[in-house]
Amino acid sequence: MPTHTPSFPDLLFDDAARLRRWETQLMAHLDGAGYRELHPSLVMRDPVNPSTVRFFDGDELVALRWDFTEALARTLVLRFQDPPRRLSYAGSVFRRPANSWDPVERLEVGCEHIQTDPEQRTEADRELASLLMAVPGLLGLEGCLLHIGHAALLRRPLEAEGIPAALGQEVARVLDRRALHRAAELLDGHPAKARLLAHAEILLSGPNGPGSLAVLAQGPYGGLLEAEAEQLGRVLSVLSAQLPKGLTLRLDLGDLRGLSYYSGPTLRLWAPGAQREIAAGGRYDGLYPEMGRPWYAAGFCVRLTTLLELGDPTPAGEPLKGLK
Amino acid sequence: MNPLLIALPKGRLEDELLPRLRGSAFELDARALKSRRLRIPMADPSLSAILLKGADLPRYVAGGVAALGVVGSDILDECRVDLMELSDLDFGVCRLSLCAPERTSLEQLRRLPHLRIATKFLDATGRWLAQEGLTAELVPLQSSVELAPVLGLADAIVDLVQSGRTLQAHHLVELTPLGRASARLVACRGLYLSEPDRIGPLAKGLAELLKRVPA
Repeated sequence: MPTHTPSFPDLLFDDAARLRRWETQLMAHLDGAGYRELHPSLVMRDPVNPSTVRFFDGDELVALRWDFTEALARTLVLRFQDPPRRLSYAGSVFRRPANSWDPVERLEVGCEHIQTDPEQRTEADRELASLLMAVPGLLGLEGCLLHIGHAALLRRPLEAEGIPAALGQEVARVLDRRALHRAAELLDGHPAKARLLAHAEILLSGPNGPGSLAVLAQGPYGGLLEAEAEQLGRVLSVLSAQLPKGLTLRLDLGDLRGLSYYSGPTLRLWAPGAQREIAAGGRYDGLYPEMGRPWYAAGFCVRLTTLLELGDPTPAGEPLKGLK
Repeated sequence: MNPLLIALPKGRLEDELLPRLRGSAFELDARALKSRRLRIPMADPSLSAILLKGADLPRYVAGGVAALGVVGSDILDECRVDLMELSDLDFGVCRLSLCAPERTSLEQLRRLPHLRIATKFLDATGRWLAQEGLTAELVPLQSSVELAPVLGLADAIVDLVQSGRTLQAHHLVELTPLGRASARLVACRGLYLSEPDRIGPLAKGLAELLKRVPA
């Protein structure tokens, strides 16, 4: 019997039943909102990313599906002249995790909203946020937090200051760890260091309410980020009005994960005590243009693997508050 | 509710850290500290400390067993775990340096056809070698690294240098610093983001306390 960490966990009876129940509930929720399921192949070609699980199929290097969004995008650009607007998916993705003990196989349910007109983006973002806000109630989760961020809050100042892409990624990586002191080391000698650090300090001041947007407006890039701040303010006010009971909404200006991928608002759903977010998503308008299609897209996925972990006792033996 | 755990390091950083906690909500129970217990109550009954070897500490925090921890940046740089690094606490400061026997220069090392460097810090050394365009055989050692060049196991070492007295005792000299190391406050990503009202103020309080130089 293997004694090492189960990178590819087997789900026994209760866990398998819970997985099936959650998958069914979430897919019905998405189906009710007009999202139609697409099931891309488990095997993907051209696996350039080394964090994927790769193997040779004859002479060809292939990988197990590492990301639904990318798998769906590859399918859509090949098969459709005009994109389907609303898509859903359910299944596994396989990716080497940041922590060696975390599972490689992750079970997800998610959805994507694709637009051809940029004017439709705000409405699509609101629709997705509303769908995501209903998820804790569907799954019986209490005390969840929905963090709203914006990918442009760091990227635009870095670009405006002419920070090289590699350095910018490194700065984003350390700020994602909330390590302002490391960003200071990385930017040593750069003429914009003081400005960028003052801005980063505002971003990292902690998840809180609309007051943080006022602070952002007074910061060194307040003018540059006026549109993004306004957009976040609008999103916050719309979502606050329809917030389900038991869910708390927070602005997290320091949400910098996936900065090279996301282009607009980001959403992360946390349950108390969870080691990872139980759902994550946002706007990624760069994906389809990179594949030659002038489409805009946003989406989110619910991480069922994290939900399954929530049901297990913590190492400290403390019962988890998140799960009913 | 069980007390919230804070992981504190044994060894190099411990002596500088414990006096800073005195008189605060984070002060460790003196009797438990003198015993062989590894889980020590703190003055605030909702908190408890676990004393761990530095190399093990990030795993406890990243895995969510401990909500917060204090660990050297030298250790953080060597382990690939996903956690929040909230503050540079500015104590336990030392240099990570390339050191070699007296009368050896960096140029001499560069010219060696097969350079051997003994170290516990394989990742940091690898990054420095790549930056310098050098290749070397890395000899992984866990302790008493200074012995390696003295006994011929390696041509040089990469190790932490604080006062330089250990180097002197082994007739070694610092050739070049690779970086600065100091104590860092770390947090479990999941707990920090999912329970910001509980963990955030606690982390802020602990960072302010630990940055203060004890009287």
